[in-house]
Amino acid sequence: MTLNSYTEKELTEALKKHDNAAYRHLYMNYRGALYNNILQIIPDTETAADVLQEAFIQIWKNIDKYDENKGRLFTWMLKLTRNMAINQTRIKNFKVHSKNEELTNYVSVIDNKTPQLTAINHIGLRQQVHKLRKELKDVIELSYFEGLKQEEISEILKIPLGTVKSRIRMAVIELRKEFL
Amino acid sequence: MDIQQYIASGIIEMYVMGLCSPEEEKELEQLQHQHPELQEAILQYEKEMEDKMLQNSTLPTAETDKRILKKLESLQAPVIPITSAITGKRINWLKPVAAAAVLLLGISAYFNYSLYNKNKKQEALIAASTSSPLPAGDYAVITNPSITPVAMYGVGTHTICRCTMFWDKQTGKAYIMIHHLPKSSSSRDYQLWAEVDGRTVSVGIINDEIRGRFIEVTNVPGHSVAFKVTLENAGGAQTPTIAETYLEGKI
Repeated sequence: MTLNSYTEKELTEALKKHDNAAYRHLYMNYRGALYNNILQIIPDTETAADVLQEAFIQIWKNIDKYDENKGRLFTWMLKLTRNMAINQTRIKNFKVHSKNEELTNYVSVIDNKTPQLTAINHIGLRQQVHKLRKELKDVIELSYFEGLKQEEISEILKIPLGTVKSRIRMAVIELRKEFL
Repeated sequence: MDIQQYIASGIIEMYVMGLCSPEEEKELEQLQHQHPELQEAILQYEKEMEDKMLQNSTLPTAETDKRILKKLESLQAPVIPITSAITGKRINWLKPVAAAAVLLLGISAYFNYSLYNKNKKQEALIAASTSSPLPAGDYAVITNPSITPVAMYGVGTHTICRCTMFWDKQTGKAYIMIHHLPKSSSSRDYQLWAEVDGRTVSVGIINDEIRGRFIEVTNVPGHSVAFKVTLENAGGAQTPTIAETYLEGKI
């Protein structure tokens, strides 16, 4: 994966001018990483591809909002894409519990190295999250993959807000060691 | 504050992954201006995450690539400055709306002025009429019964916020002009909501970077009785965060 034809600054400038070549470059370089992230939330490849399209449209429409002083372009795109994927699961009326179950199964299927699934290689962050101990896994599932606010997690898990915060912190530190 | 301890607390990872609460995010963004080492630590983790995720790619099908690239090429610039709309260099939907806005501004200026000094009423009328040299056809938009102007006012601590919306009930389109709204951070978006049949539904994200121009919003529900604008995480939310309401306007 190389971005050597543009520096990040040049790319951002061209994107803000809605330059077609820059968007093509952006798409070709980042689609795989973003699509993988969508698949972590929406295993269905067709729906995930629709979300990928919608995410790039939103990146195109909202590029003026990206502030390079506040972080890297990819971080911004990833947040936007993740939010869109989560919104999609809500629109589709996935029930929180059945979704968890479904994705837990999905991850365990990968662990069993079913040929089709390893072949399409959806492995990523979620698989790492499922290796965390339960109380850390739960807060990341609810915050990162379901987009819930800290207060909402506190309510669902019936633990104090401070505990939610400290568990998220512990979880992200562990994840960084293992994956990110 | 011990900045090294803060850096090691997991807050950076949470921030980059988008897991901070709005207060935590605000605190971190303020601190990073004072502490270059904090900024450096954030950037380092961002790069680390980006590298890992680029290595961990899953490519969509070639058909998907083709479809999305074609879609991206077909997108048109989202808004057109009023100035170019009025000079008529580009023919577009903004022309009548821009004309209406100029006219409304003119009318408003006239009323303000006449209140301020009734004696100079006649001069004010002249000023108002000369400030909007519009082709006769453009007046049609304000006589069109389907256009509803909606003034949106600041809520709670945001009393200074203002925007005006011209809502075309027939087409379901609305054109929004921001008069005052604080610039949102890169990880937050303003979202427009409509109250319809006792429910609050999302209309869309507002690109608040655009000032002095109209922002077009489509699919505004025809039976809406009120609108509000809230600040949400980038990409929008499923339900409005009421505590983050910036603007409200009733029909």
